Amino acid sequence: MTETPTRVPTSIAAVRERIAGQSSSNRALLLMAPLLAFELLVFVIPFFILLRISFAESSANFVYAEGTVSLEAYASVLTNELLWSIVGYSFLIGVVVTVLSVLIGLFYAYAIWRSTGLVKSLLLFSVVLPLLTTLVIRTYAFRPLLSPTGTLNEILLSLGLLSEPISFYPGTIAVVIGQLYIVLPYAVLAIYSVLATMDWHVVEAARDLGASRPRSILEVVVPQVMPGIIVATVISFAWSVGAYAAPGVLSSSLTFAIQVEDMMYGMRYPEAGAFSVLMLLLMLASIAIIFTVLNRFGGEFDLA
Amino acid sequence: MSEITLSELEKQYGDTTAVEDVSVDIRDGELLCLLGPSGSGKSTTLRMIAGLEEPTSGEITINGEDVTDQSAYERNTSTVFQDWALFPHKSVLENVAFGLKMRDVPKEQRRERAEAMLERVQMGGYGDEDPTNLSGGQKQRVALARSLAVNPDVLLLDEPLSNLDKRLREDMQIELREIHEDVEETFVHVTHDQDEAFTLADRIGIMNEGELIQVGEPTEVYENPANRFIEGFLGDTNFVESEAVRVTDDAVHVETELGYELVLPSDGDPDVTEGAELTLSLRPEVLSIEQDAAADSMEGHEQPVLADGSTLNAVVGTVENVLYRGSTVRYSVSVNGTSMFAERTGANTDALTAGEEVRIEWEGDDVLAFRPDGSQVTL
Repeated sequence: MTETPTRVPTSIAAVRERIAGQSSSNRALLLMAPLLAFELLVFVIPFFILLRISFAESSANFVYAEGTVSLEAYASVLTNELLWSIVGYSFLIGVVVTVLSVLIGLFYAYAIWRSTGLVKSLLLFSVVLPLLTTLVIRTYAFRPLLSPTGTLNEILLSLGLLSEPISFYPGTIAVVIGQLYIVLPYAVLAIYSVLATMDWHVVEAARDLGASRPRSILEVVVPQVMPGIIVATVISFAWSVGAYAAPGVLSSSLTFAIQVEDMMYGMRYPEAGAFSVLMLLLMLASIAIIFTVLNRFGGEFDLA
Repeated sequence: MSEITLSELEKQYGDTTAVEDVSVDIRDGELLCLLGPSGSGKSTTLRMIAGLEEPTSGEITINGEDVTDQSAYERNTSTVFQDWALFPHKSVLENVAFGLKMRDVPKEQRRERAEAMLERVQMGGYGDEDPTNLSGGQKQRVALARSLAVNPDVLLLDEPLSNLDKRLREDMQIELREIHEDVEETFVHVTHDQDEAFTLADRIGIMNEGELIQVGEPTEVYENPANRFIEGFLGDTNFVESEAVRVTDDAVHVETELGYELVLPSDGDPDVTEGAELTLSLRPEVLSIEQDAAADSMEGHEQPVLADGSTLNAVVGTVENVLYRGSTVRYSVSVNGTSMFAERTGANTDALTAGEEVRIEWEGDDVLAFRPDGSQVTL
């Protein structure tokens, strides 16, 4: 019997040992490094470039005047009433789409949760199915569906529910429907992922103790899936306020993203940058409000 | 306080029948245990009383009122679930007060009642805790308090003790019994644990394969089981296959697979014909096992010993192995190649060892006999 411990001095063992020697926070940082590098490259650095341009003067020869520092672009954006009406319209779309997507998402996720077997698979598959087609094509598909001579109008007319066609498209209704269709799968999946971990007995216990169906959902299900609802709300809201494809394809209205594009076509990069920075601040404020409000109803996310 | 009647209750899931023709009158204030192996339909029956499952057919009445078509929240029943199903996002006090909140009891009143209930289950002072931080036993107490707080017509307990460790489970059984006596309500308790049923129940209902086979007091079902399944389920026993070879007015003589002819005394006119196949049940507590001093004089196929007219039966065999179980010692004995077992209390120091010749004796009266279809034979 030999009692000498055998050591294999391979390079992997050496690396392992070195990692094991690190403090846990250092190790976590090491593991996050690729992600942090990626974020830095595609988000933080471009954002600072955008911020820098927003503080530049405009130029007749180039998209902005290099080396200049000025608040000219911010002044112009802040005093432009048209831009504020665009912001208002973008937020309106965002709020309407978010409310609809979270409500429908909640019902849909609940349906998936409660179903079994083939129905459950079909419901889940139907959520993912739209994601297999390009967003722009999916959005274009709403044109023939929603136009005054389109499918929806024909169905409503033939059922006698309408006496004359409604022009859903082009217009705000089409934008809301198109944008809802884009964000809904994410809302459903965000809510379902939390719901799937929930114990059905808890709902039964609530009913058993005298809670009606709607009341048991409000008292027991909603507070528990609040983390999922918060994620669904933030995704739906941020995406819809900044929506580009749906308003571009389904209406002639100006939204924030389309307006920024117009400014860029017009070679007004500082203004586009300033508008984007202001919009970003508004979005951050909105999301902070969403977190605070929804957390009161049982969410478990701490606002960092 | 209330009576519950189940009549011809049936539940089918697609082609499978979970509960078949269950009829029972649950008495006011009694603690009825539904006992059966898993899949016997006992939980489904309980859930139908709660309104959490809809019966395929049949009727449920509580205090004479037909509640079959009422949903769970309309019935004044209350369930303690196996996993306790506490609301994880509510405090312990909010959990206990939940049923009262649903009944629109004013806030101050429900707080008082909830605190009193927590006190009752020895969980006073835990009101502000997060239920996810409690131990199994504590969760169990909170679930009990939550269900009792609403003053239900009947408290339904769906194996609430099965997730606790043995010691705690036994303590909780005693406590549950005390609570039942204290609150004087009707309890229906589902369990697969015979000891638990015997400890708790005023009456036991035994279920198997969706059917309620027998309802009776613990001693009744144990001493006079309706069929062979119950005899086997309610405790360990030796089943011995045999054939009736001679039937007289006061005894049935059977040829057994043990190689012995045994005598089953009868009160008169036994309901057996000669040639009938019978399964005998020899429970360990009626068997005595002794070192066989007279082993040499015993022949394998001898007639049973009949000392002064009594019907003492005896067989001789070899100890195969010894299983020490603390309070008892179990001996597995081979009798002419057929295995059976007998027990002694652990305190009996005169231990038998493997390979030893032993004599197993019992009173003929202590043996039950069953027909091939499982029904008990009246001897």
